[in-house]
Amino acid sequence: MIIFSERLNGMYRDVRTAIVERNKDVIQELAEKQLAGGADVMDLNVGPAKGDAVEHFVWLARTVREVTDKPLSLDSAKADLLMQVVPRVKEALPDTKLVINSCTAAPRYMEKLLPVAVSCDAAIIGLTMDQDGVPGNVEKRVECGATFIMTALEHGIPIDDIYIDPIVLPVNAAFKQQQFVIEAIRELAIVHDPPPKFIIGLSNVSQKCLMNRLLNRTFLVMCLTAGLSAAIVDAADEELISAMISAEVLLGKELYSDDYIKAWRMQRGLPSEAEPVEV
Amino acid sequence: MPFPDFRQKWTGRINPVTLGATPAEGGTRGRTVTLGGETGIPFLNFDGETPHSPALGLDVLDQAPVGWPGPLQEAYGDVWSDPAAWARRARQLGADLINLRLLSIHPDEGDRPPEAAVETVQAVLEAVDLPLVVWGCDVPEKDQAVMPKVAEAAQGENCLLGAATEGDYRTLAAAAQAYGHKLIALAPCDINRSKQVNILISDTGYPLTDLVIYPTTASLGYGMEWIYSILERGRLAALSGDRLMAQPVILDVGYEAWRSKEARSDDEAAPDWGPIALRGPAWEAATAAALIQGGADLLVLRHPRALETVRRAVTALAAA
Repeated sequence: MIIFSERLNGMYRDVRTAIVERNKDVIQELAEKQLAGGADVMDLNVGPAKGDAVEHFVWLARTVREVTDKPLSLDSAKADLLMQVVPRVKEALPDTKLVINSCTAAPRYMEKLLPVAVSCDAAIIGLTMDQDGVPGNVEKRVECGATFIMTALEHGIPIDDIYIDPIVLPVNAAFKQQQFVIEAIRELAIVHDPPPKFIIGLSNVSQKCLMNRLLNRTFLVMCLTAGLSAAIVDAADEELISAMISAEVLLGKELYSDDYIKAWRMQRGLPSEAEPVEV
Repeated sequence: MPFPDFRQKWTGRINPVTLGATPAEGGTRGRTVTLGGETGIPFLNFDGETPHSPALGLDVLDQAPVGWPGPLQEAYGDVWSDPAAWARRARQLGADLINLRLLSIHPDEGDRPPEAAVETVQAVLEAVDLPLVVWGCDVPEKDQAVMPKVAEAAQGENCLLGAATEGDYRTLAAAAQAYGHKLIALAPCDINRSKQVNILISDTGYPLTDLVIYPTTASLGYGMEWIYSILERGRLAALSGDRLMAQPVILDVGYEAWRSKEARSDDEAAPDWGPIALRGPAWEAATAAALIQGGADLLVLRHPRALETVRRAVTALAAA
């Protein structure tokens, strides 16, 4: 599974303050922790930080780029903002792969953002919703997802660069929606061969829930079984990542060994303790 | 309608592992042999590269073998009490490397001391300029006493030493690393254990890129399919990016094939099976020719005709 790190988000007070004050240390320390946990893509969201959001994004991207060359996901619900941010970040960091997070399947949003993805060679996350809002069922999710996949392909975006987000809602507010997400992934996986990638914003499922971390890792495993390929998560949550790795072993995506967690870390060049050599 | 493109895109690659060292590289070998390097399924050249065809080694024992059937006796009987002479014969027959087994150090097979093993290894190194694979006797205490001495004596020659196992890997890994040799990681018939052994060896600081996997071997008619499926699964994992399975593979085909009754029963015992002179080498060659398609990089063989036949099969598959 591709791990998008969720922690560099202006919704967190420490990140918001660091962005406004241009405090690199705070950002880079958080980024290092996410990377040490196994993050593959750094999701960046300036949130409600006061000031020029475009400049905030460029600064945040440059700051994170100083500690990693992993892809950066630029996260905002505002299409007009992303239209400005993505080309600016691409200009500042031409060698960095970008992910546009996200775009709905409403024609006027796709018309704005798909050309940006093409011109910046960026991947893009399509939400399974349109101008009518978040669907309350499976069918509309599949319809929106299929529309997004086909429209993105028509624009020339390679299937490997297309992510579909079936939109996770909190279990305490919408208890049937979790099953709809899983079913939508199953159905959308057969819309195109090869399928696009499927991604969720995992912590949405447990918003304001007491047992949030348990819910997160349980739901992640359920979605992996349906074919999830990526998730925006706290990569520093060891239990979550261990559950994810275990699921991938059980699904046959990773080869089992007794030290399979350690093996997974070794594959990614993450630190694992070496014993001294004796001759 | 255009023909659909079935080519696979692989992200992984089998590690290239070079055995032997020429004088320019600090050794005395006349040539080196590189295993691995594949970027796709074996022999599917449209899928990925197979830059190095499987290497073929011939067996040399450090003392005259007991109970080897007629065809092997005809091929080596006149030289097999002298490992150096036997190695020269193997070279003449076209082996890419010499597979030397230190059987006589085994407590039940002579219990010869480390010094005797060192002498044998040095004699073989002087007799032929091919890269060398050297196996201990699979008794941990004895191998721990012998193999570091052998490794030291062969320093600079970039040999392949065997075999590190889950229960006994530290000494051999340390010796191989200290004296610059490659290492065989053995896990019998179990791909998950194979991955685990590689993790354990890697933990000692020995580089994963210098390992060769030995999943053990089974002959045609004796579970070859199981080994084949292990080869396949390992190769698919490696090509999909699992660096803990990206090691080239060695198979001990000659030893296994000649244990089978189909290969070793003489003409009197099996009058309906065709002459052993043909049947034995054919059994060995058939086993090898099947297994290379699962993904094997170094085959240890015994009979000269098996070597010839497998060489032809490898050449034909590589050209296809």
